Amino acid sequence: MALLNTIDPSGRPGAGPSRRSPRRARRAGRRARRQWLIGYAFVAPAVLLFLVMGLYTIGYSVTLSFAKWNGFTPNWEWVGLDNYRDLLYRDPTLAPELRSAARHTAIAMLAVPVGTVAVALPLAVLLNTVRRLRGLLRSVYFLPYVTTGIAVYYAWRYVLEPDGSINLLLRSVGLGSLARPEGWLADPDTALATLIVIIIWGSVPVAMLLYLAGLQAIDPHLLEAAQLDGAGGVRVVRHITWPLLVPITAAITLLGIRDTMQGFQIFLLMTNGGPGGHTDVLGLQAYQLAFFQNLSPTLGVASALGWLIFLAALLLTVVNARLLRSSQ
Amino acid sequence: MNATRAATGRRPSVGRLVAYAGLALYAAVSLYPFAWMVSGALKDRDEILRGGHLVPRRPTWDTLAETWSRLHFFDYLLNSLRVTGLTVLGVLVVYSLASYAFAVLDFPGRRFLFWFFVALLFVPGITVLLPLVILENRLGILGTHLGLVLPFVNGTAPLTVLLLTNAFRTIPRELHDAARVDGAGEVRIFWRVYLPLSRPALITIAVLTAVPTWNEYVLTRVSLNDESRYTLPLALEMLASGNVPRYNEIMAGSLILVVPVIVLFLVAQRYFVNGLAGAVKD
Repeated sequence: MALLNTIDPSGRPGAGPSRRSPRRARRAGRRARRQWLIGYAFVAPAVLLFLVMGLYTIGYSVTLSFAKWNGFTPNWEWVGLDNYRDLLYRDPTLAPELRSAARHTAIAMLAVPVGTVAVALPLAVLLNTVRRLRGLLRSVYFLPYVTTGIAVYYAWRYVLEPDGSINLLLRSVGLGSLARPEGWLADPDTALATLIVIIIWGSVPVAMLLYLAGLQAIDPHLLEAAQLDGAGGVRVVRHITWPLLVPITAAITLLGIRDTMQGFQIFLLMTNGGPGGHTDVLGLQAYQLAFFQNLSPTLGVASALGWLIFLAALLLTVVNARLLRSSQ
Repeated sequence: MNATRAATGRRPSVGRLVAYAGLALYAAVSLYPFAWMVSGALKDRDEILRGGHLVPRRPTWDTLAETWSRLHFFDYLLNSLRVTGLTVLGVLVVYSLASYAFAVLDFPGRRFLFWFFVALLFVPGITVLLPLVILENRLGILGTHLGLVLPFVNGTAPLTVLLLTNAFRTIPRELHDAARVDGAGEVRIFWRVYLPLSRPALITIAVLTAVPTWNEYVLTRVSLNDESRYTLPLALEMLASGNVPRYNEIMAGSLILVVPVIVLFLVAQRYFVNGLAGAVKD
């Protein structure tokens, strides 16, 4: 599982210099150094691009998180850890906003991977049991991934409108009481849940495909042998299928956590945090602090928030990886 | 196996019917907003206001044609193609070279560099967005297509390096050594042995890069000012920003935006699916 397994690029036999006679060793040393140069030449474009586009921006962002700046004055005002303190507890307007955004992010971060696995795994199992139409269905299921982005968000907005098709559908099947007269995204009770459903809808395709590949990689003889030994369906799933799918589940969960933590495009485009801050998330807050505060000196706070998100994502990933490894 | 069973006249079991019903249901869920996108794009102004049916009463191409020509969607399509094409090309060149070095070559610092690139997966885009804009402003590339392509290429580094390094490592080392004995240099081995054998992985990377780049909105939004350089997502946003949203035009614009990626996916799908599946099997 490439997304998860620790690929160790150095674990290759025959790489080190051989230890024989001094002269041979010297010649081998020269050859090794030539090898090094070739290696560096191959990685040079990637490293160069990172030095230009990545290092500067990361360094700048870290430094800026310890300063106050509005983007226009020539000098930064150094404030040390103040930005972090303001965000976490000290600032009477920022801290509560951050806490509610963090809560929404946490809800989404939990619901998206759970929902994705809950839909994608049964779907993959079903798809794996049928032969006919499998290719066609797989393509159809994959459409949401390919189209996700601004276009499909507008399509969702269109169907979620007050007079949109979701409300009409509910009314036509006699569930009119569930319809949302202001539209699903303008109703504080449903806005966040609706967005989560759309994110799950967009992340099921890749998860489903990964599960399907995992299921097809299971050796049929193994299953047959288990059945001959008298293992029932439940036991086969518990002891053979599921353990093999754990790494895939871990990868899906990790990607889900990362994307929900860091992504905010759907929130920006569909609700922009509304109604009344009910769909405000951390990424969106950082974006607004960085780009929409005009002359107030919030750029440092925005950077600090970005790094808090980074730390949280890293921490959650490590915890998640540990939990899944120990449950295996 | 199933084909022979079907041929011998075995009736579909209840379980199979339930399976197909479930699969069909989710197919409908997958297609739902997309179906309304097509439906909306085929409605005229009166009908879109009345809302309602999935099948337009008086389907018309006028909305699509008007969105395409009056709103200059062709120009935006070209801009999008340019940005996406250059990004994909850049990603494939830069990171196939680097991944080859990580997978096959030996040099000090290889491990560190590899993990460094992978660790970048955790740096949120929003954290570096502002410095990026400031940097590009200083370099004089803010608002140009190059100013989008460079950070896009850089941004795919973690996942691309991870997937391509893995793909190259699955190629038997003996092939490399045999080519070596035949007198081929590393560049030649890379070009003639490793790249052709990794075609599914490369196509997977191309699709995984092209789709988000095509749809990218945030960096494009904050960096582009000149309307003539807008990509399709910005054109669509411009179209949708009127006081009263005209959903038929918005759906027509959305359709123009999604059709190229759907075509790309259908063309690349065989390789793409195998490439992703290959990433799991190892």
